[in-house]
Amino acid sequence: MSAPSLRILLAPRMLAARTALRRSRTKVAILTLVTAAFWAASFAFFERTLAYFQTITALGPMLTQRLLVMLFVSFFAVLLISNVVTALTTFYLAPEVRLLLAAPVPPRRIHDARFVETVVASSWMVLLFGLPAFLAYGVVYQAGPLFYLGTVATLLPFLLIPAAIGVLVTTALVLVFPARRARDALVVATVALAAIGYLTLRLVRPERLASPSDLAGFAAFLAAFEAPASPYLPTTWAAEVLIPLLGARPGEPLFFFGLLVTTAGVCYLASASVVQRIFLTAWSRAQEGRTRARRKPLLGVLLPRLSRPLPRIPALLLTKDVTVFFRDASQWSQLLLLGALVVVYVYNFSVLPIDDGTPLATTLRDVVAFCNLGLAAFVTASVAVRFVYPSISLEGRAWWMLRSAPVSLPTLWWSKFLVAFLPLTVLGEVLIVVTNRYLGVAPGLTLVFMATLLLVVAAIVSLGLAFGAAYPRLDSTNAAQIATGFGGVIYMVTCLGLIAAVIAIEAWPVARLFWRRVGASPLAPVERTLVALAFGLAFVLTATITEVGRRSALRSLAALQP
Amino acid sequence: MIRCVALRKTYGSVVAVDDLDLEIAAGEVFGFIGPNGAGKTTTIKMMVGILAPTSGTVILGDYDIREAPEAAKALTGYVPDQPALYDKLTGIEFLRFVGGLYGVSGDVLDERCHDLLEEFGLVDRAFELIETYSHGMKQRLTIAAALVHRPRILILDEPMVGMDPQGALALRRLLSALAASGVTIFLSTHSLAVAEELCDRIAVLDGGRIVVVGSLAELRERAAERPDLEPFDSSLEAVFLSLTGTTGGRT
Repeated sequence: MSAPSLRILLAPRMLAARTALRRSRTKVAILTLVTAAFWAASFAFFERTLAYFQTITALGPMLTQRLLVMLFVSFFAVLLISNVVTALTTFYLAPEVRLLLAAPVPPRRIHDARFVETVVASSWMVLLFGLPAFLAYGVVYQAGPLFYLGTVATLLPFLLIPAAIGVLVTTALVLVFPARRARDALVVATVALAAIGYLTLRLVRPERLASPSDLAGFAAFLAAFEAPASPYLPTTWAAEVLIPLLGARPGEPLFFFGLLVTTAGVCYLASASVVQRIFLTAWSRAQEGRTRARRKPLLGVLLPRLSRPLPRIPALLLTKDVTVFFRDASQWSQLLLLGALVVVYVYNFSVLPIDDGTPLATTLRDVVAFCNLGLAAFVTASVAVRFVYPSISLEGRAWWMLRSAPVSLPTLWWSKFLVAFLPLTVLGEVLIVVTNRYLGVAPGLTLVFMATLLLVVAAIVSLGLAFGAAYPRLDSTNAAQIATGFGGVIYMVTCLGLIAAVIAIEAWPVARLFWRRVGASPLAPVERTLVALAFGLAFVLTATITEVGRRSALRSLAALQP
Repeated sequence: MIRCVALRKTYGSVVAVDDLDLEIAAGEVFGFIGPNGAGKTTTIKMMVGILAPTSGTVILGDYDIREAPEAAKALTGYVPDQPALYDKLTGIEFLRFVGGLYGVSGDVLDERCHDLLEEFGLVDRAFELIETYSHGMKQRLTIAAALVHRPRILILDEPMVGMDPQGALALRRLLSALAASGVTIFLSTHSLAVAEELCDRIAVLDGGRIVVVGSLAELRERAAERPDLEPFDSSLEAVFLSLTGTTGGRT
């Protein structure tokens, strides 16, 4: 009997993808539109940057080439992390691997099938971010078809190398650690790296590049970007293939392409050879890992006190949700990103030029103070999409437990709402108070902003539960994955619309209140009425959305089947 | 104690449960058997209030599941066919959580949790995360959770699946003891031997309709009345096969 072909092994994934595409045409259309918009914006950014570099006669070509190397270095780093995380799932955690192991499929064929899945699952990001950049290079340099062909040919081996390294690293990890622990460690490491990257990017103050003197500094930085351009790295080889094809300078593209292809081949063979020999051992090790919870963890002491003021059901859900949250690395690691977000947010206000006494600075302060309301609401929405939106899906297949218990759906909704609303409100209000202090905003106005934010947060939480119930992913246990799904994107867009509407409604009254403060003149009765009406309208809008969200959530929850 | 009144569930043109009428007395052990896709799980989901019927209703105790769902659910313990639990909780935390949902708290809850963990052989693993439990252990924990509030009605959907012989035997004994103490038991099972051993009455469901309901003796009589079928032995399996028309090789 011959072993099943690679096509047969990959068929379930391909058929599932095809069915998903056919069943959700609207979803595909919206995602295509969003991707096209992203590609257009990304292309415009790279095209303008590269065109600008071209105008710098002495440094231009060198900067363009360095930027290409930087792109490849960034892609390679992200691909490496992504492949390690993905390979852990595709090789050692996916339930279908058990079926493959039980079937008469040679280990080498299992490796090949899983390898292809790993490469595809990890590399879409490069297509999303990379293609507009490479296209921009081609357009700016007016490159011929050979460049575009060369780009495709270069990317193929370029994607294989980190995938093979990822599989090898993952296999080594599961031999040492249980797979669940390895996955947790990888998830935390990935999120921590993202948070550090975000912080670093912000703290180097890229806004300084807006001034000509600092742009020269950036050019100098790029010029000094030597280390990752080592001739032994695949990132350099990939750039060295494309630069001559662009016509930027002569080179030996075939030689470097040969290096890329042979290295990719060797890496792939190494991955296949190792996995072929020790897959069963590594798989067996990956299934181990009994996790014993501590009998008296800190949470066990704190949670009863925290939940005591709450009614019975919200207190129970809070205790359960917080316990699960801190035991699930994919959930608590999101706090690292949240921390980075808050630090950068507050830092942004601390470096604003508002104390130089110029009229521009005064105007800037007033405008920023108003925008701050929108920004704080935006930060709250960003947090909600990671913590509130997934909260229904994270009930998972255990949803039957809540539904069969003598607890009404409205009570469940209120419990979920309270558990999310209280911490989000604290976060948003603290952001408003701290940043308004930096800005020197009058206490009265800060109170107006705080009241508005309270209403907006209620609406954001209600929408989060509504969208979370409407787009449930009960099979997924990864909060970050749930948040980045279709429903999460639509939820975020809706929140942005809500925030924009509230800001638009309050723009005029807030401007009047500012003006009154600056001009020190009282508001006319008509103006006072209009100001009150505007705030009333903001209240009605947010209250209506909160109620609409509640009803929508209740309808979806009633139909939700585990 | 349990009354299904013209209970019906349709999915588009597909009728999953077709005007089902049932009445089960307090303390009775009622067996619910039928081939795959007969509508057993759909019926049970409607009974415990996690699926809305298209029409008809279920009365649990004195409460209509559609009009007073909380009161009806408070009487009921439910064991689903798939023991999906909160994997990141420990066994003891899960039991405490479920007890809390049903309003049991304090020392009473602690005592019951301990007793149930001991009864279901989970004491040693009580402080381990549920994600490390085997299927059978999860099943035992689910049954323990269904009993933590001392329900008057226990509804079980395929509770023996995945259990080892000792676990299955312990469960059979437990169900007998519960029935003896007055708990009404609604048991959906594929194990005809279990139904034969435990149930006072049995309903055979096929295509969403009740084909026959009665004691084992009554079922045998009904099977014997069918002249088109070959005579069989008097086991429940033979009766089941003849009443559901699966004697011709249907699996």
